[in-house]
Amino acid sequence: MGPAAALTGLLLAVTTTACGSLDERRDDARAAAVRFEQALRGGRTAVLCAVLAPGTREEVEQSAEEPCDRAVEGDRLPAGGTVRHMDVYGDQARAVLEHDTLFLAHFDAGWKVTAAGCEPRGEQPYQCEIKGR
Amino acid sequence: MRGFLYDNGLGLAFGAAFVLALAGQAIAGRAEFNSDLITDGLQPVGYLAYLTSSDFAVDVTENWQSEYLQFFLYISVTVWLVQRGSPESKPVDKAGLESDHEQLTGEHARPDSPRWAAAHDWRQAVYSHSLGLVMGTIFLMCWFSQSVTGVASYNEKQLRRLEAPVDWGEYLARAEFWSRTLQNWQSELLAVASMAVLSIYLRQRGSPESKPVGASHSSTGVEG
Repeated sequence: MGPAAALTGLLLAVTTTACGSLDERRDDARAAAVRFEQALRGGRTAVLCAVLAPGTREEVEQSAEEPCDRAVEGDRLPAGGTVRHMDVYGDQARAVLEHDTLFLAHFDAGWKVTAAGCEPRGEQPYQCEIKGR
Repeated sequence: MRGFLYDNGLGLAFGAAFVLALAGQAIAGRAEFNSDLITDGLQPVGYLAYLTSSDFAVDVTENWQSEYLQFFLYISVTVWLVQRGSPESKPVDKAGLESDHEQLTGEHARPDSPRWAAAHDWRQAVYSHSLGLVMGTIFLMCWFSQSVTGVASYNEKQLRRLEAPVDWGEYLARAEFWSRTLQNWQSELLAVASMAVLSIYLRQRGSPESKPVGASHSSTGVEG
């Protein structure tokens, strides 16, 4: 095999792996968003807190001065409905739901929600009910 | 073995230095990337994740495209433009594509000339511009790669800032794409202009990029 063929093979392998990996990541991020929405709808606050990113969970607890599962009860998070669109770039993702937008990040423990209850504000960052630092 | 190393010292030395510099860029780039992630309360990434990230890819390709643009322009523009007194320029009365006799093409090709130089059809036309074509093509490919990896890197940062991602077309109209592009172009163009002009008056003994030390300032197209 010549160098050109080897390079082509390597590029194909990287592209295939990257594309396969992107689909997988999108599915995993979507699953985390769905898990968050199901927990919210069912009032399972412990599960909801488990899907939050560490920084977001910490912020929720600090601003409410209560443990996370109690603090989220007071948050006005809308029931988002089904996921209509996912954007995944690297370790960051956005899930656009029927009535809400979630932001997620990837950790060793999987995808976690970094911000929820988010409303777009044009060129400004989303206004979110809960978010990290 | 010694003969091979000696005969290819320039390519090997720059190739090795390239690998070391790229490794250094990966180490420093990952440290900076992780510092930003930690500030945002996110998880830092390992080397493999960083080396396959859009952040690393855009930083690499934005520099590559400008280097190949520099060589593409230098190769092409020096056909037509001259710089009196510069070893980087050909003699001032030689501007243009030059004759077949001077270029050893067609019937003026020698026995050891590349075969396509002797051809009388499209092959001679292609081979006559092959260096510029390849450099220009690599430039365009790297610039396209910069745009694709750039939009991915930009969108990753957008999502971290809780902002909406943009598509490729929108990214091409964004300030970031042009800031990354033009900051590299300006430095390459400055380097070429500096080399063309400084080499009129300054010398580097033994370097083929310089005129001989004793050559006059007015001699053009003479390399030591």
